[in-house]
Amino acid sequence: MTDPIALRATGLGRRFGDRWAVRGVSLEVHRGEVLGLLGPNGAGKTTTVRLLAALIEATEGTASVAGFDVRDRPDEVRARVGILTETPGLYDKLSASANLDFFGRLHGLDVATRAERIERHLRLFGLWERRHDLAGSFSKGMRQKLAIARALLHDPAVVFFDEPTAALDPEAAFVVREAIEELRQAGRTIVLATHNLDEADRLCDRIAFVRGGLLRVDSPAGLRGTHGRTALIVRLAGSASSGVASEVLTATRATAGIDPAAVESIDGVLRVGADEPESIAPAVVRAVVAAGGEIIEVKVERSTLEQIYFEVMGVRPGAGGEAA
Amino acid sequence: MRLGIIWAVLRREWIETLRNRLLVATIVVPPILLTVAPIALAGLIGERSLPPDLAEQVLRQRPDWTSFTPGELAGAFAVQQFLVFFLLMPAYVPLSIATFSIIGEKLVRSLEPVLATPIRTGELLAGKAIAALVPGVLGGWVTYAAFVALASVVYGPALFAVVTDGSWLAGVFLLGPAVGLSSVVAGIIVSARVNDPRVAQQIGGVIIVPIIGLVLVQASGTFVVGAAGYALTALLVLVVSIGGLRIGVRLFAREAILTRWR
Repeated sequence: MTDPIALRATGLGRRFGDRWAVRGVSLEVHRGEVLGLLGPNGAGKTTTVRLLAALIEATEGTASVAGFDVRDRPDEVRARVGILTETPGLYDKLSASANLDFFGRLHGLDVATRAERIERHLRLFGLWERRHDLAGSFSKGMRQKLAIARALLHDPAVVFFDEPTAALDPEAAFVVREAIEELRQAGRTIVLATHNLDEADRLCDRIAFVRGGLLRVDSPAGLRGTHGRTALIVRLAGSASSGVASEVLTATRATAGIDPAAVESIDGVLRVGADEPESIAPAVVRAVVAAGGEIIEVKVERSTLEQIYFEVMGVRPGAGGEAA
Repeated sequence: MRLGIIWAVLRREWIETLRNRLLVATIVVPPILLTVAPIALAGLIGERSLPPDLAEQVLRQRPDWTSFTPGELAGAFAVQQFLVFFLLMPAYVPLSIATFSIIGEKLVRSLEPVLATPIRTGELLAGKAIAALVPGVLGGWVTYAAFVALASVVYGPALFAVVTDGSWLAGVFLLGPAVGLSSVVAGIIVSARVNDPRVAQQIGGVIIVPIIGLVLVQASGTFVVGAAGYALTALLVLVVSIGGLRIGVRLFAREAILTRWR
């Protein structure tokens, strides 16, 4: 039976000189899963990717990809991973198809397989019509798509994307995210190292917060459940007097199923903290209206991944360092 | 070592080299000059003879030239100086190709995707080294063949005999490839530390200093290197190159490239 785990790491760590780049990395990535490695620059994301792709050796711990140990069988691991680095690293004086052909040869693909896969992947990323053009003549987005095609050419068990959009303008970054989204829908196993929170939130099934090691690994929904805050926000008409606001507050706190301590009113905005804000909305609206409040807007507020990120990382934005 | 992988690297290197006009020009122009210049120089000397002292010194070094006329002796002495220039080609062509190739890959960061494949660093290094070495050595041999053909047509059997004697054959076919290998090694070592191909070539170019020294010594007429001298020098250069290659292999290790090359 096929192992449902595509990638395993146990206590993986790498030291450069006296400094540990990452340490204690333990995780499992299921087949077809997209795992995000999220962390600031220098957090150890690239080192983690390189360790898992058998590009560098671990100082401690073990890891395996598609059942092959990265330390004992690095060639087998490299034959089963695809990697997209921050810069595409293409050969500018070679055509798009020649770039792919070279990597197909390095992976030992025969002529017919190379030809079939080159055509398939260039068509997949809309580059087939430009196959004879030099890679140096491509836009940044096209170059990154060609690099993704290169990473997929040998049908790898796991694809690593290391900061795939970091050096791109918004348009090119969009093109690359769309390409990754398509791969995700096609059931590819992907490890995406990024410091782009929106990218991780949108593309990843689970997110691992990295800072010298794995601080926390969970799905975006799980992270929001543990670290996030959700609330029902009721914006009242500006004409509401302070007396009305006070009555609204009292009435809401008295509503069944609501924690009175989770209700606050600031500048005409009523905020009711709750795990499932949608379920309490009708009762809150009735209470506000009964208390004389005039409602302009009712909405659900959820913590952004950015807020969760700062909480998990233990940093305060703008504080220039770790939270006290 | 898997030959298919080495061939893939070699093939790509050559395709890229051929598309680099500057590099192609630096490879193609000097051989043409090297072929024509000695012949032209011998023609300029014409029937002029060497100063008696120098002629005597040269004949002491090369008694096999005793039968030459004074004009032939002068031509032979002048052309002999160019043998060392035929060593420059296997020196600078591999150096140019190796430095452009390695530093070029450093600058566009194309080595990391390559190293993420099952290629072994020995295969990558072998592909690059052969890709750099072969054009220089083969180019030197082809240029030498053209030079010999031209010399025999223009100046007849005496000068033909000079440029095909043991010292020339040992120089071109033994010392040339050895110098080429040392040049590749220098290119690899320097390119690992430098990010500008021109700077790398200037630093790596120190390997031609001994060759220039050989030119100066021979031009003075006090010492003309013979076949045994060239063969011995080739062996020495080969030994030094193999030692240097071990350093190059260490610098070219996967981890070193990914974590220390900047």
